Amino acid sequence: MSFDFSKAMEWAYKDMLTFFPENVSTFGSELDSLFAMIYYASVAIFFLTYAILIAFIIMYRHQEGRKAYYYHGNNLMEFTWTLLPTFLFAGIGLWSDDAWTKSKYAYKVPNPDVTIDVLGYQSGFGWQFRYPGPDGVFGKKDRNQISSANPFGIDSSDSHGKDDLVIISPGGARPVEVHLPINKNVLVNLSSNDVLHSFFLPNFRVKQDAVPGQWIKVWFNGTKAGRYEIACAELCGSGHYNMRGLLIMDSQQDYDAWLDQQYKIVKPELSAPVSDTTAIAAATSDSTTTKN
Amino acid sequence: MQSAIAHAHETHGHDSHGDHAHHHDVSFIRKYVFSTDHKVIAKQFMLASLFFLFVGGLFALLIRWQLAYPGEAIPLIGNILPDTWVSDGAVTANFYTQLLTLHGTVMIFYVIIPLAVGMFGNFCIPLMIGTDDMALPRLNMYSFWLVPPAGLIMLTGFFFDSGTAAAGWTGYPPLGPSSGAGQTTWLISLFLIGFSSIMGATNYMATILNKRAKGLQMFQMPLTVWGLFITAILITLGTPVLAAAISMQLADQYLHTSFFMPDNLLVGAPDNSLVTGAFIQNGNQLLEHKQLLGGGGQPILWQHLFWFYSHPAVYIMILPGMGIVSDVLSTFARKPLYGYKAMIFAIMGIAFLGFIVWGHHMFQSGMNPLLGTTFMLSTIVIAVPSAIKIFNWLGTIWRGNIRFTAANMNALAFIATFIIGGLSGVFMASAPVDIYIHDTYFIVAHIHYVLFGGALFAIFSGIYYWFPKMYGKMLNESLGRKHFYWSFVFFNLTFYPMHLLGVGGHMRRIYNPYIYEFLQQYQPMNQFITIAAIILGFSQFILIFNILWSLKYGKPAPRNPWQANSLEWAAPAHPGHGNFDSDIRVYRGPYEFSHPDRESDFYPQWEEPQGVESHSHEAKEHSHSA
Repeated sequence: MSFDFSKAMEWAYKDMLTFFPENVSTFGSELDSLFAMIYYASVAIFFLTYAILIAFIIMYRHQEGRKAYYYHGNNLMEFTWTLLPTFLFAGIGLWSDDAWTKSKYAYKVPNPDVTIDVLGYQSGFGWQFRYPGPDGVFGKKDRNQISSANPFGIDSSDSHGKDDLVIISPGGARPVEVHLPINKNVLVNLSSNDVLHSFFLPNFRVKQDAVPGQWIKVWFNGTKAGRYEIACAELCGSGHYNMRGLLIMDSQQDYDAWLDQQYKIVKPELSAPVSDTTAIAAATSDSTTTKN
Repeated sequence: MQSAIAHAHETHGHDSHGDHAHHHDVSFIRKYVFSTDHKVIAKQFMLASLFFLFVGGLFALLIRWQLAYPGEAIPLIGNILPDTWVSDGAVTANFYTQLLTLHGTVMIFYVIIPLAVGMFGNFCIPLMIGTDDMALPRLNMYSFWLVPPAGLIMLTGFFFDSGTAAAGWTGYPPLGPSSGAGQTTWLISLFLIGFSSIMGATNYMATILNKRAKGLQMFQMPLTVWGLFITAILITLGTPVLAAAISMQLADQYLHTSFFMPDNLLVGAPDNSLVTGAFIQNGNQLLEHKQLLGGGGQPILWQHLFWFYSHPAVYIMILPGMGIVSDVLSTFARKPLYGYKAMIFAIMGIAFLGFIVWGHHMFQSGMNPLLGTTFMLSTIVIAVPSAIKIFNWLGTIWRGNIRFTAANMNALAFIATFIIGGLSGVFMASAPVDIYIHDTYFIVAHIHYVLFGGALFAIFSGIYYWFPKMYGKMLNESLGRKHFYWSFVFFNLTFYPMHLLGVGGHMRRIYNPYIYEFLQQYQPMNQFITIAAIILGFSQFILIFNILWSLKYGKPAPRNPWQANSLEWAAPAHPGHGNFDSDIRVYRGPYEFSHPDRESDFYPQWEEPQGVESHSHEAKEHSHSA
């Protein structure tokens, strides 16, 4: 056990807004500025009410011989402090709604440039990704064909599914990296085959629960190349903490190169069952041990 | 059994309060264990809940230790805990998940609700409305005696091989039903404690509506009684829904139903086959645990049902506290409560809105985002009655003559922390802002500001305020202040930084945050929080010491130690079964402090008006305020 007091106290000198991890998505800045707006309003209300509270505590502290003011209240004041917060809070609500519809409403999802499927999984605690393969079309899904070897339930009778690229990325210190292009609308179809998970991209301000039995559309548009962490934000079992994934945001060129390289691993085995793609995961990730 | 009937006959059959000499031959068991006296039941709730407060607090500290020093042995107790819980003295991931589940469950269902509703409801309602006991004393006794078995069932889970419930205090399916026997005991225990709540709540409503003292109008009741009355309505409307949801989850576990389970699930590791085995095709031993039977269920349905109860439950926990704080503030500011009726309407408003905001817990759950918009607006509106209450409390201390007793300090602390808890709630109410902070430590900070900073400080305030009437002894004021200072300072040092962690993206319920690179920088901060939390936890022993010390050495309490107005102070210093030694008649509201026509600065509800003049003046003031 070690304890560095000056490091442990660093938070005390920092403004709350400086704690945000870097934002790298298009609507992320909108969410951050909404947060900031509520934050500034809250700070103002905080100082106002605390000033009143502390002033009253000091001014009206007990003094012998003084009698308190016999007063039951005033309806005008009640109306005032009912209406003012109503307008303030209703304003915040209406202001928020735009960003909410933009980020979550299915019909507001922009035309995707890239679409992938993502599953959270509990047996090993990680993420499964599916890219449509060289033909650019996902194979049909059949829920009855779901198994641990074929987590997406890709219909074996659909030829489009033969070349689908499935990446299984166990969590922990060294997850399998997945790539996506920057400045493109990325659509993620999100689900799970076991329990609830939550697909959380802190830098993209994206969070959406993965619900078994239901495919949910999540979209974002990354603005900066780099290496970003994927986290799970919904308790999914004792390995919940370990559901770390890695997302590499590439330029279109680098992304295409990576994709080609991945397909080369799949292509020689096009005739084999799709489930063999799990071998990729095994080949690229040798360890899932946790690090402290 | 015969004595029970005779006893019940006594309780119901005699209206005279003065003569309770014939109670002295009641056996020890009937008097202190299976008692129907509301005051004894209140003490039993207090005892049980304070015990669970320390149990839940211990869970919290184990969680905190892991977050500060993951993998390091727990000091002192690490090496004596069983191997199923710890490895090398450090909490295992599995045990950590059980701890966070039980910490939430115990603190909410076995500490805050029984203290706020069970203890104060039982103690305050009959005394504050000037009656001898609850309307249904026997039911009242049952409502307490469901708590020990329920608590025991809850804790037994720790001794199962598969451990206790580990799906969070929210018990979300499919994780909930697909985990082991611990989840079953968790569900049964919640069912029982919910039943206890419902029995208590019906009783409170029956008592308040039917047994008020002569002359006591509804709008002359103290805010504590109003808070508890509205809380009782919330409980009777909400808890049955939780009971239904629990039954459905149990059915999903054992009866092949699938309310919450979609088809073709690959659920669970092999050790879960105990529970789900009936559903599972035993193909490939390792992973092919596929649920073939049932299907078509919807996991989100549970969330709707659960939060339909559990959001009002937040108000079940805070409304009694709001009532207590109103009474304590008014008494110690020696000033009428500002906007008495507005305060009551605000409580009603919160209670009503409390039932239509549950969806704000589910913004990221995958429900239709259109519902998100609806729930965002209703949630934001609920900030309005909360703001009204804050302003009225500030109005109450305005131009008062404030006495800083331990009770009043805790009440003032309630306002201070509730302002922060309310403001952080606005962030989450805004659905798009919630996208990022949902399921992070921002939420953890918020809930603790509302339930620890809010509900628990109000409960402390109530304990300091009513202890003299409960035990006939004064609590030690100086120890009370020490307990307050330590609690207040370290409460804020523990929970304020959690807002910042949340903004940093720190998820809740994670065993080892430092797996994530972006969270590694927060370990020193987590260590700071842990140390503050440990001090906060140990500060609570001051309260326990104070209670024990004062019971033995405390000054005997006078009848009305705080010179308050409400009816409980008309009862003897340490009232026996039957409460009052005189007939109670009510002449005015509970907040007639510092009346200009009177020498003394208080004017008890039960005091007969001296002359016609002052009475008419008083009536005029009342109509003015209304």
